[in-house]
Amino acid sequence: MSDSLAAIVRAILFIVLALAMCGVIFEFAGYSAPQMFQSIVDGAFLRRNALEHALRWALPLFITATGIVISFRAGYFNIGAQGQFYVGAICAAFVAEWLRGYPAAMVIPLCFAAGMTGGALWALWPGLLRLRSGADEVITTLMGNFLAGLLLVYVTAGPLKDPSGSGQQASSRPLEAAYRISASSGVSPTIIGIAALVGIAMWWLVNRTAFGVLSGLSGRNPTMVRWQGASTWKIGLASFLVSGALAGLAGTIELMGPNGRLAGGFLPAHGFTAVLIALVAGLSITGAAIVAFFFGGLASAALYLPVMAGLPSAAIDIINAAIALFITARSRFIDRVTKAWRRPWTTS
Amino acid sequence: MKGNDSIILACRDVAVRYGDVVALDDVSISFQRGLIHAVVGQNGAGKTTFARVVSGLVRPQKGSVEIGGTRLAGGSVNDARQAGVELVHQSFALPPSFTVAEAMQFGASGGRLYTRGGLERRWQAHLDALDVRVSAQARIRTLTVEQQQAVEIARALVSDARLLILDEPTAVLSPEGASKLFERVRRLKERGVTVLLILHKIREVLAVADTVSVLRGGRLVDGPLSTSGMDGDRLASMIIGSSARALDGEDRAALTGAAVPHGETHAAAADRQPVARLRGVNTRPDEDGTALQAVDLTVGRGEIVGIAGVEGNGQRALVRAICGLAEVGAGSVELDGADVSRATLAERREAGLRVIPFERNAEGLSLTSPLWENWSAGRLLARPLLSAISPAGLRRDCKAALDAWDVRYAHVGQPAGSLSGGNAQKVILSREMDEAGRLVIAAQPTRGLDIGATAFVWEALRKARGRGCGVIFVSSDLDEIFDLADRVVVMLSGRIVAEFRPPFDLERVGAAMTGARA
Repeated sequence: MSDSLAAIVRAILFIVLALAMCGVIFEFAGYSAPQMFQSIVDGAFLRRNALEHALRWALPLFITATGIVISFRAGYFNIGAQGQFYVGAICAAFVAEWLRGYPAAMVIPLCFAAGMTGGALWALWPGLLRLRSGADEVITTLMGNFLAGLLLVYVTAGPLKDPSGSGQQASSRPLEAAYRISASSGVSPTIIGIAALVGIAMWWLVNRTAFGVLSGLSGRNPTMVRWQGASTWKIGLASFLVSGALAGLAGTIELMGPNGRLAGGFLPAHGFTAVLIALVAGLSITGAAIVAFFFGGLASAALYLPVMAGLPSAAIDIINAAIALFITARSRFIDRVTKAWRRPWTTS
Repeated sequence: MKGNDSIILACRDVAVRYGDVVALDDVSISFQRGLIHAVVGQNGAGKTTFARVVSGLVRPQKGSVEIGGTRLAGGSVNDARQAGVELVHQSFALPPSFTVAEAMQFGASGGRLYTRGGLERRWQAHLDALDVRVSAQARIRTLTVEQQQAVEIARALVSDARLLILDEPTAVLSPEGASKLFERVRRLKERGVTVLLILHKIREVLAVADTVSVLRGGRLVDGPLSTSGMDGDRLASMIIGSSARALDGEDRAALTGAAVPHGETHAAAADRQPVARLRGVNTRPDEDGTALQAVDLTVGRGEIVGIAGVEGNGQRALVRAICGLAEVGAGSVELDGADVSRATLAERREAGLRVIPFERNAEGLSLTSPLWENWSAGRLLARPLLSAISPAGLRRDCKAALDAWDVRYAHVGQPAGSLSGGNAQKVILSREMDEAGRLVIAAQPTRGLDIGATAFVWEALRKARGRGCGVIFVSSDLDEIFDLADRVVVMLSGRIVAEFRPPFDLERVGAAMTGARA
């Protein structure tokens, strides 16, 4: 218990450090750091409807992050959530387009099924490559992100192109209103319900099933699990599929909720922010819920930075990157410390 | 200690600590020039640390080290080397792809240009002078362990070493290889080199050394004492100390290497029902060591079969083949009469197979995972992946099991890596030695353990035998094999080349290990 508490305290400490570093950088760049922090806090949590805005971003991020928790715990660094998110949204959009006119009660579940299947399939091939031939999943899933991004551009400019669209960015025809699961605010009982369901199911999977314990063990030492007689292959493939399906689910929610249509290159940082959330949360599902809400707040503040502090909205990306830097540096450091601490025992 | 010419090495109040662990505790000792000195002690007594301090690899927190009257700054290998100290490590450090000449030149002083021929002539002369019969053109990986060790020693003697330290040089050798090494050491003494041997078998100490010093728990118990007229039993008492539980004669002898146990037969071997049978098993060659060739092996109920052999002669492949972790090309594996050649390890475990793997920290435990997860892994595998578990219940069961096995730990949530080697091995025992086990494979189960933990492991294996389990006991230490096993088979180059029954004869088993006529 005290271990996880210490982990949370440490994570908060590093976020504060990252923010302080960003403050110094912006101060030197000629912006006002206090004003920046003020507008972030306002935009994220204090402004009217701020809670709703933070939730709008937090819910899909949380869903994707839980999937990442599953695969990272099993020792597979699936950083292809972005691509799986896109492919999920694309598959759902195709189903919604093909079944245009059919009753919502039939189309919506099919869209979800298609989105999750699409995301899972986009995680399946890097998973197979990794498990069959040892191809590094960091490389393959990262490349998968670019492929999925280009696929999205192709789909929105080709098969699903909205003929009436005149904007610079190609996009699909808007979904039929009946198929939307939320208004453009992006918060609705359906979405909250799905996120809660995912959260509970994944918490159960991690903490209350044989899979949770065995995948955690095999993430830390696959050799040991193999000598215990486990098929690391089964555990590995399952974790790839679950994480892909959840990213696809988040993509489907973005499509059928706040966005209402597929646009080329929409939400390009979703998958990476989710990876960051999973890491900051120390690969815990409960932690991911809290951290996702925090990052949801940052995302909602991004819209207010230009107005309030005169900062470009990309400042939020810089803050995210700074947090990523501190968190990853942290785990390396901790690794080294724990190793140094273990050494006298193991060599005696 | 006056500036005495006859003293080559003098340590005063040397103390080394690794974190909370005291490796050396105020050790003061001096060694005479021109003799063969032995330092003995059980695992964890501080022998290796002592060798490292003297050779400059470890800087002591306290105390001083003098080589031939000059004080060593400590923590510098170069300084120690300048003073004439060379250390040959427990595990060899020669690059396998180098030729002998290249390996000898590597690290030797002098950065001038040289030709391959010149290099080979130069080092061949050096090897011949030391009576090492190895071609300077041979690749390191083609050499036997004895030859590699001889080359290591020759390399250590390149720079006029006055004090040569060999850290557990016999651990990797067959008995015959060990006696050859001792001859080599005696010849070095004739050439005026002082040799410090780190050993852990009394028999070897008495065979080669002029003096002996005993370390226990980081302290110097006594020494250097002259070995002439030294009583092996007295030495054994000094090594074990009074803290270890009462050990019976054969165990005590096997633990300290005072005498070779002969073993005893426990039951008539002929009418034992087999729990495991391998017939003509070949494994496909892979990167994990020598493959098996046409191995036949039967293990009966209530029988401990010792697998002897120089390390790397197919022991790993044998264990992996029985576990279903190696690709079996031909032949069959039976457990309890049922053919399991195609079964997974999970299915074999279901049928009663239990394994204590070779590498405790890599194959046996996940060091960063909590104890209860390590302990329950096997149990969880018997269930479907999505079956619900109760972590609280598993923690409770784990706690009960660890307590029953006398594991010293704080709580079941602590990482397995925080336990000492002996306690970590007990965690593995508590997981693998359950009532349902039919065949237990114990692969090097006592490696690196101190005497108390070693005796504990032996006891566990004997209890398993008493329950009617078959036990396959792999070890590179013949003393413990002889003490424990009802039957010994010897592996050489992936084959089983000989089989022995008690009383065991060290000479004959040793000869089989190296391929001489058995």
